[in-house]
Amino acid sequence: MTASVSPLPQGRKITLEFNDRVVRQFLLATVLWGVVGMLVGVLVAAQLNFWQLNFGREILSFGRLRPLHTNAVIFAFVGNMMFAGIYYSTQRLVKARLASDFLSALHFWGWQAIIVAAAITLPLGLTRGKEYAELIWPINIAVAFIWVVFAVNFFWTLARRREPALYVAIWFYIATIVTVAMLYIVNHLSIPTSFTHSYPIFAGVQDGLVQWWYGHNAVAFFLTTPILGIMYYFLPKAAERPVYSYRLSVIHFWSLVFVYIWAGPHHLLNTALPDWLQNLGMTFSLMLWAPSWGGMLNGLLTLRGAWHKLRTDPVLKFFAAAVTFYGMATFEGPLLSIKSVSALAHYTDWIIGHVHAAALGWNGFMAAGMIYWLLPRLWNRPLHSLALANLHFWIGTVGILLYVGAMWTSGITQGLMLNATADNGTVLAYPNFLDTVNTIRPMMLMRVIGGGLYLAGFLIMVWNIRQTLRGAQAVNGTVEVFDDAEDQAAEVGVGVFGTFLNPPVIFSFLGVGFACAWMFGGDALGLVGLVGLILCVILAYAHFESRGKAWAGWYDRLLVNTAPFTVLTFIAVAAGGLIQIIPGALANRAANVEDRRQIPYTPLELAGRDLYVREGCYTCHSQMIRTLVPDVLRYGDYSRLGESIYDHPFQWGSKRNGPDLARVGGKYPNVWHLRHMEDPRSISVGSNMPAYPVMLTRDTDLAALPVKLAVQRTLGVPYPNWTPDQIASRVAEQSQAIAADLRTAGAYVAPEKEIIALIAYLQSLGKFEDVSAAAKPVAQRE
Amino acid sequence: MFRRLILEDSAVFYTLAAFATALSIYLTITWRALRMQRTTINRFENLPFATATPPASHESDTSPRA
Repeated sequence: MTASVSPLPQGRKITLEFNDRVVRQFLLATVLWGVVGMLVGVLVAAQLNFWQLNFGREILSFGRLRPLHTNAVIFAFVGNMMFAGIYYSTQRLVKARLASDFLSALHFWGWQAIIVAAAITLPLGLTRGKEYAELIWPINIAVAFIWVVFAVNFFWTLARRREPALYVAIWFYIATIVTVAMLYIVNHLSIPTSFTHSYPIFAGVQDGLVQWWYGHNAVAFFLTTPILGIMYYFLPKAAERPVYSYRLSVIHFWSLVFVYIWAGPHHLLNTALPDWLQNLGMTFSLMLWAPSWGGMLNGLLTLRGAWHKLRTDPVLKFFAAAVTFYGMATFEGPLLSIKSVSALAHYTDWIIGHVHAAALGWNGFMAAGMIYWLLPRLWNRPLHSLALANLHFWIGTVGILLYVGAMWTSGITQGLMLNATADNGTVLAYPNFLDTVNTIRPMMLMRVIGGGLYLAGFLIMVWNIRQTLRGAQAVNGTVEVFDDAEDQAAEVGVGVFGTFLNPPVIFSFLGVGFACAWMFGGDALGLVGLVGLILCVILAYAHFESRGKAWAGWYDRLLVNTAPFTVLTFIAVAAGGLIQIIPGALANRAANVEDRRQIPYTPLELAGRDLYVREGCYTCHSQMIRTLVPDVLRYGDYSRLGESIYDHPFQWGSKRNGPDLARVGGKYPNVWHLRHMEDPRSISVGSNMPAYPVMLTRDTDLAALPVKLAVQRTLGVPYPNWTPDQIASRVAEQSQAIAADLRTAGAYVAPEKEIIALIAYLQSLGKFEDVSAAAKPVAQRE
Repeated sequence: MFRRLILEDSAVFYTLAAFATALSIYLTITWRALRMQRTTINRFENLPFATATPPASHESDTSPRA
């Protein structure tokens, strides 16, 4: 394979100054938001052990702060680090200053404004109720806008590049930009009910599938691919030797981009998700082992001949450990995606340990290594203390090991206890959920210590940075280039026609088209699809054999052409999502459900559900009884796909710090819920749940219900076209009935209080109508 | 339609088709990468060094130690 190499430019030499100001800004923002995100992380970890740390205030409760922690670490800490690394390396790899200083500044300040908005709204309980996608719709629009600003700035810079070849790090950045845009937009499609509230357009299983398509690939394309690009640039620079195998990096990129996007359903194993999607998610997760480990080995082997430098160089220490943690986490991920392993590990602390091995080890240590490498170069000052940097490394490493070790132990213990049965599998060995919670308390404490150590190491870095920057002068990097190099590097251009009208793309499109016709078409169309697919494969093979050079030339030209490379990367990542999402979106209609169908919530129950979402109850409680014997023994009949078909958003959850609530309706009397929410420990001794006494005194927002119901109706929930008076009347009737029942039990709460609405919602969980063939009258069946 | 797309066992074919598609792409890219010429590889892998970055002071022996 040959890539086109431009002739030597003949123009005059000029000195080009890079825009390193924005790199410095993102770097410092990384440090600031890193401290905030980790501090909140340590607090929420401590809250699980010491419920008193919720301070009796909703604004500081676990359910509201946990989304703040995850969003801060992902989008604020890693986001800023990613932008710093991408802007620094891209300018140097393509020998061009960032295209627009204005766009660079807008990108930086816009992103910080988004973070501040998130830090204000999340503790206030303004949330969409979907993990890592909690931010309310106006902020979603701001994120999309700033992402477009980033993309324009990036691609404009590539268009002005003086280096025709695109290094593999740039490939990873391109994949990041296009994929995150696609994922973010699709998963945040919502219809607003007010300036701060909206309902997602997807519901139930479809919302679950879209959410974890997004959630998993947020890990893949926000926390992994940009950091891999950073690894492929900064690791060779720090080790002062090229990447071990460029060939392997090419395989790493394409296989990762093609495979990662399919793996999302592994977050929904053993649930009501269709089985073929579960198998698809598991299969592709297992396939991820190869490219991930290929990349990890490529990173580590880049240090060949430079291992002795690890003794003294903290940058290489951080990079080597980060890549090792990447390998560990990407081994563990596919392992957890095996259905039988997931049966044990899902909903437990093992998953928390897995994500923190990646976040603290891979992302955190890559960030630290990059910061220590960039600091002296961006401020032209030696690092204040190498010893402190080394101390940071060792404290951080011990912190991660304590954290991850504790969570592995905790998760496996929790999984074994929750799944343990006695009497030949007919009864639960530990029927009280709190038995497991109290067994893992020492491990939860160990996690706080591990997380605290990691934060301490990070604070040492903050001190080191502060001391380094005192009196330092910022400097911008420069490079000498020929003034006509930009023209020389102008792409030879395959153009739009060249991108699509070539043998590999034409045969691929035809093949996919015929395959879709075969799979989704009727009898006749299916036959046409099958015959067409076979013919397409034969013709493609024949053409490849006779005109192989045309196929190779097309790929070679892609390596120096940004636009078609980007388009084809987008097609690669979009294919997996479309094949998973479209069949379900077409079929996932209440009218198609063939066994159980959810009964739409009453207006009061809907108001209660919004409170459930507001308080982040999904961060600790699932609403999905898996198709596993221990789940059924503990919580009741397994959840059916149709039982959450009107849930905008779905609330299946991903972690059980408390028991599943899918069938809690009718399990306890109303007064039980009242006392439990007022003071959980008065009902469940040893519970670590926050108390919500304020719900007994604050009124439910009923004024918003007409708009909310109208939006739900627009989304397909079969509500009648009630007038506001009719809605108020229904609310009053149901709330007064609950208040009267509570009064009978000796508790007085006014009907308009929030707790009444929440009780109404909790008591509705698990109710459904039977629409199976057996339940229908004979005439209806016919 | 619902049953056919969501519940029937034949839908397992999607998994196999998707696996075959991804595997063929994986093999194709591997084949392309293995056929890359040494000169091309040298050029690509040295791109990070085409723009020099100043060495950090701590990478020499003159840096202050805490």
